[in-house]
Amino acid sequence: MNEDASTAAESLMRVPPSDPASVIGRQLIAWFGHVADFLALFGQTLGCALTPPYRARDIMRQFHFVANESAFIIVFCVSSAAMVTIIEASFHMKLVIQNDSMVPGFAALLILRELGSVVMALLITSRVGAGLAAEVGSMQVTEQVDALRMLGIDPVRFIVVPRFVACVLAGFVLSIIANVVCVYCAMLVSTLKLGYTAGSFVTAMRAFVDLRDLAFASIKGAAFGAVIPVFSCYHGFRCKAGAEGVGLATTNSVVATSVAIIVIDFVLSYVFSYLY
Amino acid sequence: MVGGFRDIIDDIGGGLLFLGRMLSTLFRAPPRSHVVFDQIWRVTTNSLSTTALAGFFVGAIMTVQFTLQVKEFGALGYLGGLATSGTIREVGPLLIAFMLSGKVGAFTSAELGTMRVTEQIDAICCLGANPFQEIILPRFIAIILSSFFLLAVGLFMSIAGGLLLGIVFSGITAEEYLRHIPTIVTAPSIAGGLFKCLSFALVLASVCTYKGFTAAGGAKGVGRAVVSTAVATMVGLVIADFITTLVSDAVLAIALQG
Amino acid sequence: MIQFDRVVKRFGERVVLKGLSFTIREGEILFVLGTSGTGKSVLLKNIVGLLRPDEGDIWVDGQEVSRLAEESYFPVRKKCGMVFQHPALFDSFTVFENVAFGLRRHYGMGEGEIRARVRECLELVNLVGVERKMPAEISYGMQKRVSLARTVAIEPRILLFDEPTTGLDPVTTNAVNRLILDLSRQLKTTSIVVSHDMHCALAIADRIMVLDQGQIVAQGAPRDLMRSEHPLVRDFLAETLEGES
Repeated sequence: MNEDASTAAESLMRVPPSDPASVIGRQLIAWFGHVADFLALFGQTLGCALTPPYRARDIMRQFHFVANESAFIIVFCVSSAAMVTIIEASFHMKLVIQNDSMVPGFAALLILRELGSVVMALLITSRVGAGLAAEVGSMQVTEQVDALRMLGIDPVRFIVVPRFVACVLAGFVLSIIANVVCVYCAMLVSTLKLGYTAGSFVTAMRAFVDLRDLAFASIKGAAFGAVIPVFSCYHGFRCKAGAEGVGLATTNSVVATSVAIIVIDFVLSYVFSYLY
Repeated sequence: MVGGFRDIIDDIGGGLLFLGRMLSTLFRAPPRSHVVFDQIWRVTTNSLSTTALAGFFVGAIMTVQFTLQVKEFGALGYLGGLATSGTIREVGPLLIAFMLSGKVGAFTSAELGTMRVTEQIDAICCLGANPFQEIILPRFIAIILSSFFLLAVGLFMSIAGGLLLGIVFSGITAEEYLRHIPTIVTAPSIAGGLFKCLSFALVLASVCTYKGFTAAGGAKGVGRAVVSTAVATMVGLVIADFITTLVSDAVLAIALQG
Repeated sequence: MIQFDRVVKRFGERVVLKGLSFTIREGEILFVLGTSGTGKSVLLKNIVGLLRPDEGDIWVDGQEVSRLAEESYFPVRKKCGMVFQHPALFDSFTVFENVAFGLRRHYGMGEGEIRARVRECLELVNLVGVERKMPAEISYGMQKRVSLARTVAIEPRILLFDEPTTGLDPVTTNAVNRLILDLSRQLKTTSIVVSHDMHCALAIADRIMVLDQGQIVAQGAPRDLMRSEHPLVRDFLAETLEGES
């Protein structure tokens, strides 16, 4: 949104580079400009989200789009990922330590701590985030964003905030759903292929994980949900004109969000590791 | 729901026809090799840093997660082996391929979609050239080769990331971390991982070229193409993950018996 | 009504407006002409604060506006209606909701009043019976007219047009031009029209200003401009006169 800062950084980029140091320097300046602008947008979004008016109807509509309509595809993807995890885990546990008593714990650990929330978040990134970047990008290009400002409406409050709130809630809820479905699928595969009963699976699993893991997974999900719409809108607002611009904004938002999700995942895992 | 289902069938059919057309072009009018190499170079340099970064963090995360559990069993020595095996066989390829679906897949479909809606592809046809030979096939081949390479780089970086966190976070030496990797990460599991990577590369390349090529409807159409590429690629990856696991499991079981 | 005082606007190292100064009287129709990329749209966006000048002052209705905060800018924007280059209709709303959008948010009108006002505005731009359609379902020319209705709905005293006729067929172009003239006369608004259509500028402008590379190279009433010796103005005029002969 901050056109002056970004254009200053970009105009620096236009001067042809002379030596490697200045190339890197320019990249860094541009990068810091991006980070500063992004944080400004994030702060503004957060501020607007916490102050009235809350626009509950818009939020619910977005929530329906983000959560309900993504639920099927997410459940499908994470459950097959969970089955793969179990098969893989049992296969090489047998190979290495000649028994598979640790399989349920091992798999549940991978699912709850890692796969469930991250796969869910990456799916939301591509389904919701990319769509949002394309939508906001074409609004920007066709001057709809300017039209909003002319009518005295803050585009951040109008466009970003409902999606932000919806995505945070959806991230929280969906990661619980995803993880629970994952664990059930893992249980199903273990009973069918590895000869566990449901009871013995749960007992073996509980040696490794407990309810805290699910709580942490859902916090992760909410954090991922918070960054996805802001990244998408950030890239959408900076969209350049034309079909190429919209495509580029969408692509960039997917990449930036995915990297951010993995980095945030790392940071949160590190922090949570001190809470066990 | 019924309409959605029909759309999916439609897409699969269209995609297969598209692949068929691509294969026949490959045999009848193969693209010039320097065009392919240009594309390989472009895709690889574009995505190398992102993939390496993602791989590094995936490895790091896995080490952090495993440390807690392994510590309870007093088996920190096995940390390196377990974390690396978990990363290479399952979590690593999947997450890095998801990453690439954004970086390579979305980028390519945006590029092809832009060419389509700005009528560049029609212009190529009018100039008497075959768009498959000139544009689609070089990208298709380049994406397969370079994403396979990128996935391998990502997995390698994940070992590096795991190692670093093993030293910093879990407090074991590099030697201890690496010692048990060969005992747990065997040749079959590396082969399985690479087989996965190859099938992921195939999914990635077909989905993004197909979706980009069939984009329609101006700037919004390009946006739509990119979104559906990202979603379809991810679903395709998960399915490919499932199938390759079953296949490599069966193959290995037969190999071990025989 | 609007006064620019040595306004400078830069994008990075490119200076788009190089110290622009001019004044517009109330009720006047000013045409700003120039080739593409000379900063015409930038000039408009500076008035309503969608872009901010780097140097100089802009006065709107006796108030210095160039350094107002985003939140306190709305009263100024309410006085100015801007018709964008693109129709810029919100594509998730119907035509009716698009026109009613500004009314709903800021005027505290009842539903009946809003309905009447929307109908009135749509009639003003000769559109009847499209209220329930979505923007994607009507033609480009109609979208432009809906956009005009949306702008007029909040009763602005200043109308800013960003290339209102670019990309339209000749018939619709004439209709839009007639509309600009009618609106200005009926509603007594001040209008600034950014365009590169000398033909309609000569037909309906009170005053024409020609921009080149961020500077004013000629201005005056249409009659005076016809006698201008500036090469760019001659080029513009030649184009028009050829078209007529």
